[in-house]
Amino acid sequence: MASINLHGNSYEVDEDGFLQEPDKWTEDVAKAMAEMEGITDLNETHWKVMNYLRDYFKQNGIAPMVRKLTKDTGVNLKEMYELFPQGPANSACKWAGLPKPTGCV
Amino acid sequence: MKKSLKIKDISLNGDAPITELNLDDLLPLPPPYDKIEEQPGWKRITEEQKGRIVCNLDGVVGLSLPRPETPEEEKKYVDLFVTGMQKLLSRENNWTFLQPLLLSLEYCAKCQTCSDSCPVYEASGKNDLYRPTYRSEVFRRLANKYLKPGGKLLAKLNNEEIELNWTTISRLYELAYRCTMCRRCAQACPMGVDNGLITHELRKLFSQELGWAPRELHEKGTMLQLKVGSSTGMSPKVVKDNMEFIDEDYSELTGFDVVTPWDRKDADVLLIHNAGEILSWPENPAAFTILLNAAGISWTLASDDPAYDGVNYGLFYDDVQLARIALKHAEVAKKLNVKKIVMGECGHQHKALMTIADRILLGDMNIPRESSMTFLENLVFSGKIKFDPSKNDFPVTLHDPCNIVRNLGIVEPQRRILRYLCPQFREMTPHGVDNYCCGGGSGFAVMSQNNFKDWRVAVAGRKKFKQILDAFADQPGPEVKKYLCAPCSNCKGQIRDILDYYGAPLKSGIIYGGLVELIVNAMTDLKEPFIKWEE
Repeated sequence: MASINLHGNSYEVDEDGFLQEPDKWTEDVAKAMAEMEGITDLNETHWKVMNYLRDYFKQNGIAPMVRKLTKDTGVNLKEMYELFPQGPANSACKWAGLPKPTGCV
Repeated sequence: MKKSLKIKDISLNGDAPITELNLDDLLPLPPPYDKIEEQPGWKRITEEQKGRIVCNLDGVVGLSLPRPETPEEEKKYVDLFVTGMQKLLSRENNWTFLQPLLLSLEYCAKCQTCSDSCPVYEASGKNDLYRPTYRSEVFRRLANKYLKPGGKLLAKLNNEEIELNWTTISRLYELAYRCTMCRRCAQACPMGVDNGLITHELRKLFSQELGWAPRELHEKGTMLQLKVGSSTGMSPKVVKDNMEFIDEDYSELTGFDVVTPWDRKDADVLLIHNAGEILSWPENPAAFTILLNAAGISWTLASDDPAYDGVNYGLFYDDVQLARIALKHAEVAKKLNVKKIVMGECGHQHKALMTIADRILLGDMNIPRESSMTFLENLVFSGKIKFDPSKNDFPVTLHDPCNIVRNLGIVEPQRRILRYLCPQFREMTPHGVDNYCCGGGSGFAVMSQNNFKDWRVAVAGRKKFKQILDAFADQPGPEVKKYLCAPCSNCKGQIRDILDYYGAPLKSGIIYGGLVELIVNAMTDLKEPFIKWEE
């Protein structure tokens, strides 16, 4: 298993960098992961999207449909890619501590 | 410059890759994608990764096999490989594919006709490692040497030396995931040898005997599907919530009353989507609902697991997992007492449930199964829905999913629809049963560990990308919006990744989608276009 070091703490991640133990997630993890993709300032909308993802995941055990995410947060797909360089799955979900989406998605 | 590769090289020099891939060697692409320096290439495996996982084939790692800790551990797996070979070649352990496997091992004339037909081999710049015959010949020599009486002596005499060791099996495992099992080579072979099948049997050996399978296909694939109902992780409750959301969304967008029926007993048709459509391409299930309702079909989706997800990754690597899932699909159909099951736009679902499952679905479990291609053709030409083809007056080309077209022979229905409804429909060259794989076949589209995604896009999908560009060469610029019809979820996932990798939506104006979306887009009653060119 791979691991990453953030501010002196070690976290287990899969080969794509997704957190393996969602319980260990903190806001600092999100900030550090964002920094690794070149985003140093997380704004209110970043947090709105990530909090939505975390809430949805807690209730349903998976990430929401992208269409549902954009509709419920009011952040359209273009804006989503501006906020999260690799998109809703590979950046937003990852920073929010969700596991990598699976299946034919 | 790459060096030529010998069969015995697979056993030698344990930790080092046996070949190297360079962008300069790959099949050239047409402009504006022709400049090597502008191509993204692929990520390199880091030293830290090399210390943990096996990286000894071609610098690409799709499987993240942990490095063994002791020589005993290595030996355990090598011994298992031998028993695995024995099982593959015995009737009681391999009743599914024994005969074609034996014929394919016996009759290869080594003429290399298959190599020229293989998109991976061609796109790689003809790298020996990717010849359809390379892995097959390794397996053939190992089976001859270690299973046949006097095999070791004969291997020496025939100058077919090969060693069976950890290096051999760990490389062979990764190499079993460099072929998309598109079986273009099998079609080209004058002897009928099926090298795609040999790839499949190798994957099966690794999974069923050594417990080695890609995480995306096994742990997060068939195991997750058997546990919660879908490899996407959607439970019955979540899938119904999502479809309800899609119904509402598309009622707003189209003005139709979009209502998807669930769990209707005695319906004529049980439609099984690939559940990935619901999450990633909701316009596809929405279009099915609109169309089937408009035609007055008696139909339903099922919320019993796993019948709301048609995927069956077992097809790609493990007969036992395939059987478990196929049986459950049929059980739900039987419980609902439907007249037939219709496959959504998913290629491997077609092959798994329509043909391979025939071996296990006996008696009243053998519920009729139909492809959405023929089903949609009957619907489109039934006269029940009015169409206005001028609504689809933009360039359209068709990708042929290997499992539906070459492997099942369903070639014309989708074309008759497109010729009727899309005035600017044009074929790729070649097409139909001679199509090229998208490069995402056999599960690749959902595999993306380390730098595997870069490889499947830049190498395995290269030939397809060139074909797509060539099909639209008369109007290459982004000002003309073009539609690539790919009626298969796996293919769509791969095509999305190819187009994104090269920035082709912006540079070339190409979008992709399924077949049913084009049909709905042409409905006379539809007020606003169904196909959205920009999000």
